[in-house]
Amino acid sequence: MHKSAVVIFLSLFLLSSVLSGCGGSDAVETVTPTPPTPKEPVLDHSGLTPLNIDVIDKSEYLSGGEATTFVSNENAFSRKPAAIIGDFQLDGFFTQGDHLFRTPDDDIGPILSTGSCQGCHLNDGRGVVPGTPTTPMSSMLVKLANGKGEADPIYGDQIQPFSIHGFIDGNALSAGFSKHDGSVSGVQLYGEAFPFIVFETITGSYPDGSAYALRNPVYKVRDLSYGAFMEDIRFSARVAPQAFGVGLLDAIPQENLLALVDEEDSNSDGISGRASMVTNVFTGEKVIGRFAYKAQNPTVLQQVAGAYNGDMGVSTSIIASEPCLETQLACLLAAEQENKTGDEVDLGDHSLALVEFYNRVLAVPARRGYDKNSDIWTEEVTAGRKLFLQANCSGCHTPRHVTGDAKGSELGELSLGGLTANTDSQHAQSIAVLSNQTIYPYTDLLLHDMGGSCAVTRETTAGLSCSTGAECLYVQRCDGLADGLIQGDASGTEWKTPALWGLGLVQTVNKGASFLHDGRARTIEEAVLWHDGEAKNSKETFMNYSKAEREQLLAFLQSL
Amino acid sequence: MRTIIICNLLLGIKEDMKFSSFSKISAALLVALSLTACVEDGDDGTSGVAGAEGIAGKSGVSTFVTRDDVITTNANIAYAAYADSLISATTLKTVLETFVADPSKVNFALAKQAWLDSREPYGQTEVYRFRQGPIDELKADGTLGKDDAGEGPEGLINAWPLGEAIIDYVEAVDGLSGPESPANAVGMGGIIAAKKDDGTFKYATIDATTLSNLFEHGEDGRNVTTGYHAIEFLLWGQDLNKEAAQSDSKVHDNTPGQRPFSDFNTSGACTSGLGNVMADEICTRRGQYLVTTAELLIKELTRVTEQWEPVSGAHYKTFVAGGDVSLAKILEGMGRLSFGELAGERINVALIENSQEDEHSCFSDNTHRDIFLNAKGVQNSFNAKYVRIDGEVIEGASIYDLLVVEGQHELANKLRGALEATMSAAAVIDTKAKTGTPFDVLMQEGIAQPNIKAVIDALVAQTDDIEAVIIALGVTTNDLRDDTEQTI
Repeated sequence: MHKSAVVIFLSLFLLSSVLSGCGGSDAVETVTPTPPTPKEPVLDHSGLTPLNIDVIDKSEYLSGGEATTFVSNENAFSRKPAAIIGDFQLDGFFTQGDHLFRTPDDDIGPILSTGSCQGCHLNDGRGVVPGTPTTPMSSMLVKLANGKGEADPIYGDQIQPFSIHGFIDGNALSAGFSKHDGSVSGVQLYGEAFPFIVFETITGSYPDGSAYALRNPVYKVRDLSYGAFMEDIRFSARVAPQAFGVGLLDAIPQENLLALVDEEDSNSDGISGRASMVTNVFTGEKVIGRFAYKAQNPTVLQQVAGAYNGDMGVSTSIIASEPCLETQLACLLAAEQENKTGDEVDLGDHSLALVEFYNRVLAVPARRGYDKNSDIWTEEVTAGRKLFLQANCSGCHTPRHVTGDAKGSELGELSLGGLTANTDSQHAQSIAVLSNQTIYPYTDLLLHDMGGSCAVTRETTAGLSCSTGAECLYVQRCDGLADGLIQGDASGTEWKTPALWGLGLVQTVNKGASFLHDGRARTIEEAVLWHDGEAKNSKETFMNYSKAEREQLLAFLQSL
Repeated sequence: MRTIIICNLLLGIKEDMKFSSFSKISAALLVALSLTACVEDGDDGTSGVAGAEGIAGKSGVSTFVTRDDVITTNANIAYAAYADSLISATTLKTVLETFVADPSKVNFALAKQAWLDSREPYGQTEVYRFRQGPIDELKADGTLGKDDAGEGPEGLINAWPLGEAIIDYVEAVDGLSGPESPANAVGMGGIIAAKKDDGTFKYATIDATTLSNLFEHGEDGRNVTTGYHAIEFLLWGQDLNKEAAQSDSKVHDNTPGQRPFSDFNTSGACTSGLGNVMADEICTRRGQYLVTTAELLIKELTRVTEQWEPVSGAHYKTFVAGGDVSLAKILEGMGRLSFGELAGERINVALIENSQEDEHSCFSDNTHRDIFLNAKGVQNSFNAKYVRIDGEVIEGASIYDLLVVEGQHELANKLRGALEATMSAAAVIDTKAKTGTPFDVLMQEGIAQPNIKAVIDALVAQTDDIEAVIIALGVTTNDLRDDTEQTI
């Protein structure tokens, strides 16, 4: 219940109390309802009666609970919930956060992947895979680590493909591209390297004979400005995901998620989710990671600060450094030319808290395929839902969760004039629209082994083996979904289950968008077919469905 | 609940009040509110302004002002303000055509003045945003879209901040002239000058189709190709802060953008920036761009104005018949413009980021007028008064009157005072700008700058009072959104 509704209730209450002085006696009847005899249903991880395979929950069309939007056009991922619109103050915080999300900070760089949040989260939706090998990655990025999960001593844990020169007014983006050994001298600043993807085609067929074709990506990296990568380097290409709904995921009680963990697969369904435990920078506690493709970040705030630092080169009080490593002299030199240098961070806490608020309350699109007036779902969506549950896709893509108390910002209480820091006795007010909601994100936020393996080689463009020089590329080939990259608790074959809400609107919001972590799947169907490892049984069940059944299941996914 | 009804019957209800369109909550509240009359009676009670001596009508307000009257006046003012915007835009187009045909220094100054004049009525229309009106929701097919779906012409008319590099050449200033994603850039020199590999123009023809198709190119919100601010950029150019001869372009000076009028010269002295000589065709295309955006502006303003045409306009008709939902819309527009858009996005963000990019009219340094006129629009809605560009005064039933009639004398006076405080604070910024200290210089001092702080504080205070009025009149803005949970 949001603020003005509370006020109205209160005023009703007060006014009706006043009335008794106005005329007549108080004749309000109180009826104490008799509680129904409790049965003992088996409860799910949220303490709710498990979803029925045949009967769709009354609230299932409200994917984000009260934080649901009914807009389903190209703006579907950019909307605010009604409860935010109806509160002038929260509406104002959202509007300001939106502005900051769209606008580059003055002090982006010196090396970076993009200039603003929206630069990757196109229209608040997904980034795109470049159409050609010579087009730079401007809304996806490449993570780096060796076989032990350690960052590269020169390049860090991420390739920033551009220098600030590509983002200066009047310059083409190419002015910031990397150049082989260009920054080795420590004077001239270039982007770090130029990663690109070429696709190979894999073909196959369903048991019923229908053929399909998939795009298998080969990651390549050229033009390293600061010298070679360390030994045993691995690459993981990642498209920026859609940005909405994260405040709700943030508010799911940790114990509910941990209840889904089944490391030893004790129920023998072939699925053994495990939690990625990470450090909350504010509390220092080890808590469950929820955000990014390998669940590296525990909170929206930490995720946002990480993106400002790693993707945009903007320092904050949470990550106060620039993206330059000690070995990157040209980068350090450029960082000293920014407006805000030294101890003064690029983006202040007030702005950061506004962006955090905006990101947290971005609304989740309501389901399509449902008529509220008649309370009827389309037949294909109803059938598809049943097939989805029968195939145990829900073994990882947990349909329903409830949220707990969505605490206010760790940074403090927002107001127009500034930010009041939290104290022991006073913490920022909880966000009502995110609290105690029943939501349908279709994820368990756990890590699952999706199978596959990877190998990195050095090759020329022509495919000949090489070991050094400007023409010698790094090439990573993988089977299946593996990226070979260890990140925190996640192995090179593990991924966090991504949420599926809004799936059917991804290409409405951004026509060029595609699916899976590196955007290899052009359609939702292709994305399903890439599943393996713990998802093998479910995928095979899907493949063995009749063509009509597969279409129903896909119609269900489209309705999310 | 039975008690309430009994009490209400005893008191009686004004016959002209329409209950049919009320939602349950607002109806209940209204009933409850009528009751307050027996406690806090403005007409002839003991607690009203006139005290026990009060007689209905004595406080100077017609006791006959109804909610529907307030709604009708609000709609009539909407028409007048949009009509004035349309008239000013039509004048602007004529002046721009004259300038393009004869790009003299005098005509350049006249063109800029016509743009500034066109902003005067438009700034006062913005209180009609954020309330599901035509400006936000009017779709191409002439129907109104769903709440907050953003399908209306507002962006085409007034979108900002611009990634102005999509339009024309830019110089190194603050790295903020590009689109959100570099992938959505159209090429060096923007639509006006970008060329293909074969040397021909990437966009062969500068016309309405080209500019409309490229609006938010790549679903990129910074690719603003049309509207007031596109024209502003073409007339003033980037505000490069070069006048003060400082070493640091980040220190804002007190002049706006300095585009030379030779940027429109088509007789052998065309430039793209002072001293940067170009072929005449670049200036020809720039002139075409300028006039085309004015044409598009007129087209979109016409669509909105027609919706508000008294008696016949589609939105006018539904709005005046909308009862409490319409009353809630008036107050929602006032509140959301006051806090989120004006105090928040247009003032506060500029301050905390100290960025000219976040200043509303950053090319022309006309932000002080944007602030003043937006605030004025809120006051207009409350007082039900609007002065047209030809001097005619439109006046009618106000929210002030309504509050008094409904026994909310103190609240009526409080919000009146709050709006007055805002206007007086905005007048200070306005005066400073007109006497040599524009908003982009003031804002460098940040949130502690006393004149700016006064405006923000006043806007926050008036928003609180607007919320109080919403509660007092029992028109929860929630009602506005109940109808959106339809078939989807």
